[in-house]
Amino acid sequence: VRVIVRVCACDCVRVIVCVPSLCEDLLSSVDQPLKIARDKVVGKDYLLCDYNRDGDSYRCSTEYRDLYFEGGVSSVYLWDLDHGFAGVILIKKAGDGSKKIKGCWDSIHVVEVQVRAGAPLPVQTGINNVNCFYLPNLGNMDMENKIRSTLNEIYFGKTKDIVNGLRSVQMLADKSKQEALKNDLMQVLSQRSKQQS
Amino acid sequence: MIFQLSTAVQLQHKKEVRIAANFIIHAPPGEFNEVFNDVRLLLNSDNLLREGAAQAFAQYNMDQFTPAKLDGSEDQVLITEHGDLGHGRFFDPRKKQSFKFDHLRKEASEPQSHEGEVALRPWRDACDEALRAYVKDHYPTGVCTVYGKTIDGQQTIIACIEGHQFQPKNFWNGRCRSEWKFTISQPTAQVVGVLKIQVHYYEDGNVQLVSHKDVQESLIISNEVQTAKEFVKIIENAENEYQTAITENYQTMSDTTFKALRRQLPVTRTKIDWNKILSYKIGKEMQNA
Repeated sequence: VRVIVRVCACDCVRVIVCVPSLCEDLLSSVDQPLKIARDKVVGKDYLLCDYNRDGDSYRCSTEYRDLYFEGGVSSVYLWDLDHGFAGVILIKKAGDGSKKIKGCWDSIHVVEVQVRAGAPLPVQTGINNVNCFYLPNLGNMDMENKIRSTLNEIYFGKTKDIVNGLRSVQMLADKSKQEALKNDLMQVLSQRSKQQS
Repeated sequence: MIFQLSTAVQLQHKKEVRIAANFIIHAPPGEFNEVFNDVRLLLNSDNLLREGAAQAFAQYNMDQFTPAKLDGSEDQVLITEHGDLGHGRFFDPRKKQSFKFDHLRKEASEPQSHEGEVALRPWRDACDEALRAYVKDHYPTGVCTVYGKTIDGQQTIIACIEGHQFQPKNFWNGRCRSEWKFTISQPTAQVVGVLKIQVHYYEDGNVQLVSHKDVQESLIISNEVQTAKEFVKIIENAENEYQTAITENYQTMSDTTFKALRRQLPVTRTKIDWNKILSYKIGKEMQNA
């Protein structure tokens, strides 16, 4: 996995060398692995992405991150829109390298909150309260869980199936004998249940 | 001034061709054409690509153990570095033929008889026969090619196996390759093997499995038939072990590493109650006010 991720970052640079005019489009549409930077003033790590190349930052609720990620680094960047606000929520968790396996989870959630005219607003005592109001709605958007399940079951499961379709540990002749036996059994069983009913 | 510009342009072209070649060499199995077509667009010059990257096309096919078929034969032979005769021609040791190979069209043509090394022929033939039976038993779409070559003064048997499934309509492609070598100069030989698997699944996403394993085992050299039998036994055991390990790895990865990156459920084993967190936060702020 590490090789593929590393190759991806270099690939972007290579494409840009060939066609410099694609630079902006490429950087905004291809997600690179999140980079960590250190805020020396506060003594905390934060994440870099396209959205905070120029802008303010705001530290996100760490409850969600710690419950699901037990560590890691997270950053949230928000900016105003005409009728609401938008933001990006970044999470990066690297595996601890135990059991000789290395990995990294990067989340990039982009949200847009539209405030309709006439909708009741919470009492505004500062930016913290406004964001807390929207927190349950943002938090319950369970894309991460869905993506994680999909990754586990479909993507990893599918590649495993493909590997086992390329080669069989069991001798193919034995495998087809087994298949034939299974089909015969099923036929007999279904005939029997038809006779009984 | 014009001379300087021309050099700069030449250097830029060289850089671009090198980059294009690099993309092509790393194309996933079954996706050479797609990568080639995309790279054509980037470079915007077919001549530049064809001349500069010709070596990359050949390199790709040899790396991938691309199977080739001559008209009038159902049997396939692998394109590998061991069969490279130069000038675009490759050796088929089973048929004792050489042929021209078009790396872009992946077509073989102009067969000619080619002897190969006669002294090693009995060993090569015995290993080829044993290996063919093994590949038929374990690879639904497998192809194998066995060479007998003297390398650095050592009489060497090189066995290459390839199996692939390309299903771009279902957004996936996969290929496994293995290469096994041993020399017959000593009573006990070291068998050296490398096993490779690459799978690409890209329906609504992009996942690749890229894996390889190096293997070393001892082999007693007796007569051609017996040695071939033991050689193939070593290959069968190692490749079974590798495939089983990969399957088990998926379970381990799911249970430990993947979970260590992001859990399915919080440590509390229940989904987060966001309203609870919200009221706790508001409560805290009111306390601090």
